[in-house]
Formats: sequence, C-alpha cells, structure tokens
Amino acid sequence: MSEGHHDLITIPAPEGFVPHQVAHHFDSVEKEFQSCKLGFWLFLATEILLFGGLFAAYIYYHDLYPESFVEGGKLLNWQLGALNTVLLLASSWTMALGVRSAMLSEKSKMQGYLFVTFLCAGGFMVVKYIEYSGKIAHGLLPGYFFGLEPGSVYAEALGHLPYPNLFFSLYWTMTGIHGFHVLVGMILIAWLMVGGAKNRFHAGYYMPVEIVGLYWHLVDLIWIFLFPLLYLVP
Amino acid sequence: MTSDSHAAQASHDGGHGDHSEHNDHSGHHVCSFQLFAGVFFALLILTIITVAVSRFDFGGFNMIIAMAIAAVKASLVMSIFMHMRWDTAINNIAFLSSILFLSLLFLFILADYSTRGDTDPILATPSMQMKPAEYYQHDWSGH
Repeated sequence: MSEGHHDLITIPAPEGFVPHQVAHHFDSVEKEFQSCKLGFWLFLATEILLFGGLFAAYIYYHDLYPESFVEGGKLLNWQLGALNTVLLLASSWTMALGVRSAMLSEKSKMQGYLFVTFLCAGGFMVVKYIEYSGKIAHGLLPGYFFGLEPGSVYAEALGHLPYPNLFFSLYWTMTGIHGFHVLVGMILIAWLMVGGAKNRFHAGYYMPVEIVGLYWHLVDLIWIFLFPLLYLVP
Repeated sequence: MTSDSHAAQASHDGGHGDHSEHNDHSGHHVCSFQLFAGVFFALLILTIITVAVSRFDFGGFNMIIAMAIAAVKASLVMSIFMHMRWDTAINNIAFLSSILFLSLLFLFILADYSTRGDTDPILATPSMQMKPAEYYQHDWSGH
C-alpha cells in the first residue's frame, strides 16, 4: 500500500461521491480515522474535566447552602428546562442517525438528519434566550451583578437565605459554557451539511461526521446532569 | 472484506476489513435504526421519571436518585449513541479515565466536607468542630 512516503492514497468513493485523499502523513485511511478519533476522545476527556470542575464547585456549595440552592432552583422554569432536555435528546438521536446514514453512503438522509439536529439545537438556544432574558430582568445574575428588587417575589424567596447569588453564579457559568458548546456544535453541523452537499462523506470516509457526532453527544451528556442539578435541585 | 452485512461498506472501504456482528470493536459498527429509536425512547422515559421523582421528598436520597438516573441516561448515550460499546479499547480508556479522575476529585471533596472536625481529637477546637457553613456564618467578632 505504501511504497514511499510521497505516495498519496485516494479512497475510492461510491457513485456520485467525491473520493477522499488520505493526509500524506498517514499510511492508510484506517490509521487516519483511528488517529483522529483518539485525538478527539482525548479532547472530550478534557471537556469532562472542564465541566467537572464546575460540578465539583456545585457539590461543595450545594452542601454548604442547600436551602439557597433549593430555593434558587425553584425560581428557574423547570418546564423550559425539560423542553430543552427533550430537544437535546432528540437532536442526539438524529445526530446518531446522521452518522449512521453517512456510514451507509445515504447522502440525502444524512443531510435531513443533520438539518433536524441543527433545528433542535437552534430551538434549544431560543429557549435559553427566553430563560436568560427573564433572569436578567429579575436581577437573578451571577455573583457581583446579583441584585433582587426589594419587596419582589424573588427577594421574598431568597432574601433571608445565605449567599443566594452562589446558585445563580453556577447556573450562569454552567449553562453559559454549555450554551457556548451548543453554538459551536451548530457551526460544526452546518459545516457538515456543506461538506455533505459537496458529496464528501460516504462509507469510505465519514470521519468528520463521526467526530462532530461525538462532540454533539457530549453536549447532550453534560445537559443530562445539568437539568436535574439546576432545575430540580435535589 | 466479504461480510454480507457490511457489503455496502466493504465494497468501497479503504481497508476497514471484515467485522462480525457481535464482536465488532473496530469503531465502524453500524447500529440499526430500531436500536437508536429504542435508546431515544428510554431516554425520554428516564427524563419523565427524573421530573416525577423530584416531586417527592426522599430527604438525602433525592440527590442520589437524580444522579443515578442521570448516570443511566449518560451510559446509554455513551455506549450506544457514541458507539463506545463497539469502539476500540484505547478510545474507551482515553475517555473513561477522565471520569475516573473526576470521581476522585468528587470523592475527596465529599470526604473533606463530611468529616471536618471529627478526624483528630487534638484539633477538636470549636472552629474545627463546625461544619463549613456554620464556620462562615459564625460571628467571630468575639463577645
């Protein structure tokens, strides 16, 4: 297969697809696939550690001021949180189906699944926008910016509790970083759809679809823990 | 490259090889539509259970139940949607090691918090016997 390191390997594509040229520093498309995937799993491991630090902070402060967390959580709209959970789970499902279609060289199905995934992600951000504007209007902001209007229902609910701003600091940081990941995911999915339209992804070469899929499932994975911890504070 | 079930893939793959249906750890497993649909349905049911359980007061168990359900959901997503069930060992080790070290962090935070003040009798001064919440809220101005 590799007589010299200057030989470029081209992967034949099914009818109508663009053949993939393996990067020059790889011996085979399989090595290229596995190297990229291992690299991406390592990146996902660092993502776990990034969010893990925030979860550690949550555990500690939830233990310190459980009542502030429970009462703070009640001020979030759990119905909107549940709606966002369903949107992300559905998008994870369609993303898994999109990767499957890419593996089977089913272009139009893949494009359809990716589009639905993109729409669900957009829906998630719209719901987040509605939530965030409500929180900003009521002064339920992180740390220093936290300010309850005296006499309001929010002051009534949280005024007598120690450090109610801590819960909202964590709420904004955790959902903010998560929301940023959703936005990045939307850009990546749009990029996949462009590549799909150019017939780049097929059974012989679907690595970008696989990797963006893994990223998207991780975003879902983080939300699975954020939803009960923030919206239904135990 | 002769497997019937992977004929579509094998006919134009670049050496991905032949994989049997039950022992496929190549990272190229194709799941059925029905399996993905089943996982999505299970995730929805578990979300409903999460919300339903939060309506009841089980004391300290609420957190444990919520996290246990989330862990089941997470393992479904990881093993099926992320194909970890069929992925290579090195990929699984790379990813799961982060969860291992994260649980060490959680373990020591909880061990620290829950045993403060009752590990060393010599250090059993009033401040050391206090839980952190009491300590920070205590009036130390002295009277």
